Parts: sequence; C-alpha cells; structure tokens
Amino acid sequence: MISKFRKSTVITVSPDHAKETCQLIVTELPEFYHLSTITGVDDDPSITLYYHFWQGGDFLSVKTGVPKTNPVIPSLIDVLPSAILYEAEVKDLLGVIFQGNPLMDRRLLLPDNYPLEAPPPLRKEADPEKIRKMMELE
Amino acid sequence: MTLVNWSRKRSIWVFLVNAASCNGCDIEILASLTPRYDAERLGVQLVGSPRHADVLLVTGTVNPMMKETLKKVYEQMPDPKLVVAVGACALGGGVMKGCYNVGHGIDKVIPVNLFIPGCPPRPEAILYGIMKLVGEEPKGKAPDRKPDQIG
Amino acid sequence: MQYSPENMVPFGPVHPALKEPEYFKLILEGEKIVEVIPRIGYVHRGIERAAQDRTWIKNVYLFERICGICSFAHSIAYTQAIENLLQFEIPRRARYIRLIIAELERIHSHLLWLGLVGYWTGFDTLFMWIWKDREHVLDLVETITGNRIHKSYSTISGVRRDLPDNIGEPLRKEMKYIEERSEYYKSLVSSEETLVIRTRGIGRINQDIVRKLCPVGPLLRCTGIARDVRVEDPYAAYDEIIPDVKTSNDGDIASLLLLRIEEVKESCRLVLEAFEKIPSGPVKLSAPRSVPKGEAIFHVEAPRGELFYFVRSPGGTIPDRVKIRTPTMANLLTATEMLKGHTLADVPVVLTGMDPCFGCMDRVSIVELDKSKQWAIRGEELRQFGIDWYKQRRSKT
Repeated sequence: MISKFRKSTVITVSPDHAKETCQLIVTELPEFYHLSTITGVDDDPSITLYYHFWQGGDFLSVKTGVPKTNPVIPSLIDVLPSAILYEAEVKDLLGVIFQGNPLMDRRLLLPDNYPLEAPPPLRKEADPEKIRKMMELE
Repeated sequence: MTLVNWSRKRSIWVFLVNAASCNGCDIEILASLTPRYDAERLGVQLVGSPRHADVLLVTGTVNPMMKETLKKVYEQMPDPKLVVAVGACALGGGVMKGCYNVGHGIDKVIPVNLFIPGCPPRPEAILYGIMKLVGEEPKGKAPDRKPDQIG
Repeated sequence: MQYSPENMVPFGPVHPALKEPEYFKLILEGEKIVEVIPRIGYVHRGIERAAQDRTWIKNVYLFERICGICSFAHSIAYTQAIENLLQFEIPRRARYIRLIIAELERIHSHLLWLGLVGYWTGFDTLFMWIWKDREHVLDLVETITGNRIHKSYSTISGVRRDLPDNIGEPLRKEMKYIEERSEYYKSLVSSEETLVIRTRGIGRINQDIVRKLCPVGPLLRCTGIARDVRVEDPYAAYDEIIPDVKTSNDGDIASLLLLRIEEVKESCRLVLEAFEKIPSGPVKLSAPRSVPKGEAIFHVEAPRGELFYFVRSPGGTIPDRVKIRTPTMANLLTATEMLKGHTLADVPVVLTGMDPCFGCMDRVSIVELDKSKQWAIRGEELRQFGIDWYKQRRSKT
C-alpha cells in the first residue's frame, strides 16, 4: 500500500518573470495545462503569490512575490484564459492588481458596500470587527 | 375560531429564501416535501413567488448583499404573513459568527415569528416547527432507527 | 466582447436602473444569448479569514459548513492536508471508512442533482421518486456517522467512530436497491420525451474549450477526457480500491445525465468492495496539537469535481493561511460558455447541468440588446417560462 506524503515542486521567480515561466510550463510541458488555482498570502512586507499547476502526479507551483506598497503584476489570461476568475479573487481579497485583466474594476466576491477605506480582508492589518462596524452589521 | 382561520391552518404556502447559506438547511426543507416526510399531507406547499405565500422560510447568515433582497421579499408578501428562521445560521450567525461578511441573525433585518434550531434541522423538526407556528399540536413520535430497520 | 457601438449597452456594477444586484446578466440578441456575465459573492462569508483565528481541529467544523452537499469532501481534504504536514500515517481501517462515506456522499449528491434536473424541466414526478430513493442512502449515512448532512466524522488522525456492528446487511441491500433504480432512471432519461428534448444537443462543449478553460469533474469527463483525482493522485484507500473512470462523448446535458448515473452505479460497487475488504484495527490515533512549519496542498474528488486545499502553518496551533478552491468556481467559465447560442428557455437546465453549489440560481437579469431594455427575472419564473416554451414547441410539431 502506498503511503504518499504529497510533495509539490516549487519554483521561485521574480514577479517580472512569472508570466514567462507559466507560459513555458504551458507550452513546453503540455500535460500541465491544468491551472488549479492562484493563491495569495500576506507576508509582511510583501504578498506571496503561488500559481498551482497539476498534471496527474505531483503539483508544480510557481512562487513569486510583490511588494505591498505597489502590488502590481502582469496578468496571465492571454496564456491561460481560466486564470481570469482566480486573479479577480486575489484582487478582491488581497488587493493585488493584475494588469490586463478586465475584471479589475469590478468586485467579484466582496459586497458592493464594502467600505473603500478598509483594507482588503485577508491582509494582516484588516480587523473583522472594524469592518463589520463600517458595514453596519450588528 | 372562524372558518377562515381554521382553513388557513390547513393550507400553508411557503416561500423559501436562501440568504447566503451552505444549502444544508435548504435541502432539508426540500426533503420535507418528498414522499418520506411529505409536507403536502399537512397542506404545506412550496410556491414560486412571495405574492402567493403565507409563510416565509429564511435560511442562512444574512450577507450585506442579500439584506436588501430579503427586506424586499418581506414587503412583497401579503398580510397575514409569518416568518420562520431555519437553522443555526439564521438564529445568530451559527458557526460563522464573527466573520466579516455575515449578519448575526435574521431578526435584525425582518421580524421573526419562529426559530427552528439545528445545523441543519431534520425535516421532521421543520414540519414540527411549521405546525407549532399555526397553533397545531403535532402528535406521534419519530421512530428510533436501528441498523436493521433501514429502508 | 466585440459589438458595434449601437448594440452595446454599457452596464457597470452599479446602475441607476438596477434596484438589486444580479446573479447572471444575460445579453440577448433577438432570442439567442450572446454573452453571460456572472456576479458571484452572494454566499461569501469570510471563512478563509475566520480560519486564521481558530485552532486546527476547530477549523474542521468550520470548513464542513462551506457546502451542505459535499461537506465530507471538504473535511477529508482539510484533515489529509494536515496529516501531510504532520507526516502522520493514519490507520488502514480509517482510510477504508473514509472511502465508504465519500462514495455514499457522491451517490447522494448525484441523486440530488438528478432530482433537481427533473424539477427544473417540469418533471416533478422524477424529482419526488429520486429524492425518496435518496433517503435510503441518507439513512445509511446517519446510522454510520450520526447525522445526515454535516457529519463531523473525519478528524485529524482518522475517523471519530467505528462502523456499527450489523451494518453489513443493510449496506448490501440498499446498494443493490440503488443500482436497480439507477438502471431504471437510465432508461427513463434516454426515452422520456420531456427530458430528451430539453437535454439532447443543449450546451455542447468540446475538448478545445476544455483545454482553454480548465473545468473539473463530470463537466470535464463528459467530453471524453478521463481525468479523475481518485485515480491519478490516490488518497484514502483509492490506491487499493481503484475506481473505473466513466466518460461520455457528446459534451451536452444528456450525456451529463448518463455520466452521473453511471458514476452512481460505480460508487455502489466501490462501497461494497471496500466493505468486503476492510481490514481490522483502530480507527483513530492521537495526533499532536501543534503542527510544524510548512505548507501542504491536497485535492480530492468531490462530487462536483476537484476540490483544492492549500494549508500553510507557521508552526503552532493556528493556521497561517488556508486557501480553498471549490469546483464550482473552476466550472463557472465553462458554464457561461455552454449558454451562448441558446435561448432563454434553456437557461435553467444548462445552469443546473454544471451542478452549481452557490445558493439557489435565484435571480437572472436579462439585457435585450436590440431593444436596449433591461429586466430581471426570478428563477421560478424562468423555470415556468422554460416549461411553457417547450410545451408550445411540442404542440406545434
């Protein structure tokens, strides 16, 4: 019986090279075309982004980071159109702008009356209590 | 009681609103209409528009996006109307209490007549609640199922 | 979106004519749908943020309640991710029991979906019959785990309770009953005219669309591509009890119906095989409370597709980040692609075909391009519209 502790290979790149790396993966290793999701984590002072690809065995993740003061990175949608919703989610919850994605000016998950002066909810400085008071939820 | 009130008790038309729930309570409400629990023998029927409904069943934590919708549906219902909050999330937030996007209970948005606790409540509990709401005393006891009595 | 300027109706997220936010904005040209713009976020509750305030074991109860229909899939994905981080080997008996409950949940979810397809096409009798059969499966689940929907059965290091003693005979009887009924439903969906006319040829997708948009689950398998997380990346006991991956070839809703019924039958077979071969032993070991530093990815095959969990631990009792990607999110783009070119009457069936797991498909807003009119329609009205439209069409031919 197999006892498998899943490992995933992580490739760390700088944010300017992230899109090229993903393009290489999609063209050179065509079995890896399935993008599972894009994860964002708030690690002060930067935001780490992971692009998870899966082909049928272990995961292959591309890891990159953007500074919190200027969280901008080129979008992946001309390489893989399925990335459009995942990037919109990271933008809503962490405030990272993906250049070239048409959903950047629109809210995907957060309500329309989410206060503009509150930080995106998954950042470390966001406090759920304060956000609730600002949205007038008792 | 008058004839109209007596006949109202036997013909309860419900409208279901899902205000940001996990669907657990919704599928138990729909299951109470199916042949095993059969709400229609008690006169309970699910309708498609709030203008035809007597009782409003609300499930879920109330999201800011669903708050306005809920109020609007409540206003569209004709009098006399009753509201039932089904499930722990509708009672006071349930397990999601404290999250940044949930309300702590439906009674902060519209007036509620009855709460049915549970996560999710069983179909029998939902029918019991609706019967209590209109003043009927339910009789009988649910069977205690053991493995050899399944099916 | 390339339209000539006179046809384009600019619509932002907030518009003075809209009194309520909409779920799906459909842009019609004549009678056909040309563009679908979904707006999700009605069930966004802030769970990922709440997970950062609770201990590892408390999060199991939180994540189960993300979805009522596939709640066990969420709980095993999370507990297995933590077991990965702990490098913890769970007992063999616990793996088999997890497989049995996961397959029972797949049966219940597919039967629920089949009943809902019957409901949305106006075939209420099918809805009632299937949900009555589903109660047999829920009885089994309740006898084993204690609850019908949110079972709280899986824990870090195994399952909480062992199987009851005399469960063998009811299990065999009920699985045989479900298999027979599935055969009957299979013949019904291929021959009953109400269903055939509304599902055959509707919502066609093919392998090129799939490569671009990356859907998961039955939506992927109905185009002929045989990908299944249980076979390619086995977890629980799937490396010893190997499922047979079913596919169908046409890519429309009728083939989705047949595919899901085949999966129900396959799950019945897996449950019985796992029960015959289950080893003895403990079902749970004691696990440490504090998880070492690291990150883990885990995915499982929920009834709707691949459910993805990413867990990061800073070394302690509370997680740093938990990221969840549900299969409905991955299928959303494919579903909007499936709708293009069809009429309004097909909308309920196609949207139910992708098996959505967000609230109810309750409000749809329609923009008619040539008349520049915008109106909103509720799900129930759309259902009645679809039923009447097809009835009229049948009476004309």
